[in-house]
Amino acid sequence: MQAFVSAVEGSAIHQLVVGSAWAWPVMEIIHFIGLSLLLGSLLVIDLRMAGFFRKIDVTATHQLLPWTFIGFGLNLATGVLFVMGDPARYTANIGFWWKMFLVAVAGLNALWFWVKINPVMKTWEPHADTPVLAKTIAWISLCSWFGVLLLGRLIPYIGTG
Amino acid sequence: MFEWLEGTPVAIWVGESLWGYPILLACHAVGLAIVVGTFVMRDLRLIGLFKGISYESLDSLRKLGWAGFVVNAISGCFLFTSQATTFASSTPFLLKISMIFLAAICAAIIQNKMRDEASAWDGAGAAAGSVRVIAMLSIALWTGAIIAGRLTAYL
Repeated sequence: MQAFVSAVEGSAIHQLVVGSAWAWPVMEIIHFIGLSLLLGSLLVIDLRMAGFFRKIDVTATHQLLPWTFIGFGLNLATGVLFVMGDPARYTANIGFWWKMFLVAVAGLNALWFWVKINPVMKTWEPHADTPVLAKTIAWISLCSWFGVLLLGRLIPYIGTG
Repeated sequence: MFEWLEGTPVAIWVGESLWGYPILLACHAVGLAIVVGTFVMRDLRLIGLFKGISYESLDSLRKLGWAGFVVNAISGCFLFTSQATTFASSTPFLLKISMIFLAAICAAIIQNKMRDEASAWDGAGAAAGSVRVIAMLSIALWTGAIIAGRLTAYL
């Protein structure tokens, strides 16, 4: 890990991030906008898939998915830059690693959705209740992403492991 | 008045206890994601995206959005007490509060219009022009509130 930290701190991107007083706040702003798009679109998709909001056509909620990916893309890009800007602090922080673990859980859960739910979703009744498997995946998604949000906000306050 | 507020037991708990400030910040982040996320998704639909979702069904999101708003109004008040004099004289903070106030008015106008006209918009295939403008304004205000909120920590 020390080799990784040294390599990052010698990189041009690291210099770019720490070299400007504006880089960090601008990245934070983008990270906050990204999390609003990611979680906002997932709230609608997942809560409907969990059986709430039945007035909303469940088969149409996937139209929000591009905004989930836009939000995730913004946060992946700015997130990588945060780590490159301050590698020693993040790699030593247990909250950061738990956050990354939950991102991985959310990713595997999304894969589960893609394999098991996405192919059959189009055959669902638009305003009916949803199967137990869909509800399970929806709640895992919401819990893992809100866990990511909480851990992310608490990184500055959680001990360094 | 703000100095008195900073001296109250609540403000001292927020500012000095080990977990008071971080827990309130965490609540504030969750509320932010809910209120901004939900209202912006509704606004994007009103502008003309997500055509498979009917305008009438959008009303489902109203309570969720306001729930996030309330979480942040409460956690925000607690956070404010700990540094009341600093916040009260911070330009980005005052801008943030003004934009949130205006965004809440936009949300109120939008839901009143939706209650009366949503089924007509579903028939026509698009929301009224004035509502689309307010929806765009709402997105701009929430984005502005996030920008000003983040900058409050720096300026």
